[in-house]
Amino acid sequence: MTKPRQITTLRAAAVISSTIIGVGILSFPRYMAEAGGSSAPLIALTGVLISFISYWLLASLCQRFPGETLFGFSRRLLGAPLATLFTILILLMFIALTGLTVRQFGDVATTVLYKKTPIEATIILMLLIGMLSTRRSVVKFSYIHFFYLPLIVGSILVTVLISLKNVELLNLQPVLMPPSPRFWNGARQASYLFQSSFIIVLLIPFMEKPGHAVRAGALAIFMSGVIYMLIVIASVGMFGAEETKLLIYPTLEMARSSAFGEGFLERLDALFIIIWVISVFTTIYTTGYLSAYLLQKLLRLRDRRMASSALLPVMFIVSMLPSNVFETYRWSLHLGQAGMILIPGYSLLLWGVHLVRGYRKKESS
Amino acid sequence: MKQDLQELLARLGENGDLVVREFRLRGTHPAAMVFFSSLVNLEQVREHVLKPLIAPYPVQPELPGDSGSIIHYLWSTVVEVTQGTACADLAELPPAAVKGELILLIDGVPEALRMEMRQIEMRGVEQPQTEQVIRGPREGYVEKLENNLSLLRYRLQSTDLRIETSPLGTRTQSRVALCYIDGIADSSLVAEAMRRISLIHTDGILDAGYIEQFIEDQPLSPFPQVQSTERPDKTAAALLEGRVAVLVDGSPFALIVPALFNQFFQTVDDYTERFIMGSLIRMIRLIALAFSLFFPALYVSVISFNPELLPTDFAVAISGGRAGVPFPAVLEVLIMEVSMEVLREATIRLPQMIGGALSIVGVLVIGQAAVGAGLASPITVVIVALTTIGSFATPAYNAAIALRMLRFPLIILAGMFGLYGVMIGTILILNHLLYLESFGVPYMTPYIPGNWRDLRDTLVRAPLWWMRRRPSFLHPRDPDRLSAGVPSRKVDGILRQGDGTDD
Repeated sequence: MTKPRQITTLRAAAVISSTIIGVGILSFPRYMAEAGGSSAPLIALTGVLISFISYWLLASLCQRFPGETLFGFSRRLLGAPLATLFTILILLMFIALTGLTVRQFGDVATTVLYKKTPIEATIILMLLIGMLSTRRSVVKFSYIHFFYLPLIVGSILVTVLISLKNVELLNLQPVLMPPSPRFWNGARQASYLFQSSFIIVLLIPFMEKPGHAVRAGALAIFMSGVIYMLIVIASVGMFGAEETKLLIYPTLEMARSSAFGEGFLERLDALFIIIWVISVFTTIYTTGYLSAYLLQKLLRLRDRRMASSALLPVMFIVSMLPSNVFETYRWSLHLGQAGMILIPGYSLLLWGVHLVRGYRKKESS
Repeated sequence: MKQDLQELLARLGENGDLVVREFRLRGTHPAAMVFFSSLVNLEQVREHVLKPLIAPYPVQPELPGDSGSIIHYLWSTVVEVTQGTACADLAELPPAAVKGELILLIDGVPEALRMEMRQIEMRGVEQPQTEQVIRGPREGYVEKLENNLSLLRYRLQSTDLRIETSPLGTRTQSRVALCYIDGIADSSLVAEAMRRISLIHTDGILDAGYIEQFIEDQPLSPFPQVQSTERPDKTAAALLEGRVAVLVDGSPFALIVPALFNQFFQTVDDYTERFIMGSLIRMIRLIALAFSLFFPALYVSVISFNPELLPTDFAVAISGGRAGVPFPAVLEVLIMEVSMEVLREATIRLPQMIGGALSIVGVLVIGQAAVGAGLASPITVVIVALTTIGSFATPAYNAAIALRMLRFPLIILAGMFGLYGVMIGTILILNHLLYLESFGVPYMTPYIPGNWRDLRDTLVRAPLWWMRRRPSFLHPRDPDRLSAGVPSRKVDGILRQGDGTDD
């Protein structure tokens, strides 16, 4: 009774946007404020646009091969050795991304919520549920994302809307700033958050309409872009750019200072963290799923269990490597930079080869 | 005949209720009847079989001389029984006798006559014990399959209702009936249900519950993937939606497949009552369900990890109440919850008269004393009580147990990791639910994989005239509840609904 092409465009969009909305929510306004002061929302918007271009390169390439994932057709385009090399690079990137994401999560959980719980316990628990679920099929994977997305988006929106009443419009001015290196730097940093939209390469072979992959991504990046922009607007507007730069987790502070229902819930931060656990889970689920899938393809394993079990300790070690919060952030910025070169670079390379081969085919025929 | 009779008796063995009645057919041919007196209606045997066979009525013609046609003659003109067959194979006779058939052997005739005379004492149709309704039919299934099928057919007087029976269980030979509506139920669903039933190999099927365990998708899951119901009206409604029902002789429960998560908090009342009431009550039930699963875990994590979440006055009141309690909150809640479960189990097993007394002693006396003795704080008792009440509000008993049992790991996680632990546990449970399937239908349908039209009958219950379509996830062969072109709108206060059966 099960059909292979089951993922609708909407569900693909849900997967991408629930992946994108993740651990970054808490510290994102700080980066933006550091890059552009009061014009932080504009930088965020530029970052969204940059990441959409990168996504478009990748997705429109994959649409030309609707029956295969990137790792299938790249072998034909580039030849096995080079394709394998790139696959290994991407695998390493996603292992590191999973590890660092879960580390950032652990840092927040231990510093804000549970000061006595060892960070290892928090991290291992999160990695465990993420990797346990990677054993499911891609269709179930999309179900899980689709189910959680309204919860994530809804709760973030509620928190933001409640805090919007504390926004001082003056804090958000001037909106524009001249494009300086600092501006572009910030925009690039913003686009790092959107890197896991790479997951589309796994979804395309299961999509009902593979031709809608770009549309799905556009919807997803738009939706999560709006969320991120709103968060930036709310926290910069509430605290002002200078203070936002000083806060490690501005979004959390924002939730903390908003009350709900005349003191029925005095602080929203713990509630916010709870929902944030889900959004981190969905992010780690995607990056973990990608890593497990890549390892499975590389080693040609028949099922993913082995791959995901093997990856669990590796990711745990990666997550324990940074010695403090600042190092974690520095590492993830480096990783983002690497990804920024790797993913669009790889898709450009594949595009080039694909076009050249296409010309050759036309000439020969 | 003597030889056949001896062989038959040898196969049936020594039994106190085995009757062998030898007589002379029409005063001439030696003949014998074999049956179990415990299974047949003796009055009918005497009146409609034995009496006409023995009596040499003057008006009736002589028996035909040719032995082959005697059986035919007896069957067509003498015995007054509705069902029966002639049978030449001796091996078929003992199982027939055990099922409640009467066997007639005649000297010099190679065939035996089997007559259906089964009558078993049975309780009458009563109100179902486990699924009571305020408004709606008061009939529940009984143990006998024929009765249950007649209750079902009475509600679905349609020529499309199909009932396929087959014996199951090498020793019990229980009859299993698979019911569906031809023209609505997806044929691949029917085929799948039939396939799973045909794969059952066991010696005894004593209740529908045995079958449930053989045909469900995920035996390791705490959540039931097959719905069992005592109500014929519920079964009929499920069949009309395109589901398949399985009834077993000897069991007052029907199994309905596929069964999805939201089915377990729907009741007949939702549909018989007006839609606003139905929707409200359904939402209340969902809140109760959330209570029974999360309340104690949230309490533990807020008390021991995040008391700042509570308004200050309330937090002070709670810590004041907890002042005399020596245990951490986890232990306190676990003790109370476990004792509550014990109390519940004890109340179910006891006769009703004592059960009421026990619950008063357990809840009021022990609860009060536990607080007085410093074993638990008053607020814990309140939380535990709310949880228990919440778990009783889930209509399906087996689903309620699943949630009740999942509460304990959540409490322990909450004790270890606070809200984070509760969240991890919730994600695990939700992921499991999202992964489950029942007969190929995702368990969380229609929330996942998302179908707006089917959402009308989930958290809320839309007006009946909005639900013109059958649930699409069942792939019904006839998706419309109404025949085409019949208006189903409310016109002048009169709900005009077409009769789905005539077109």
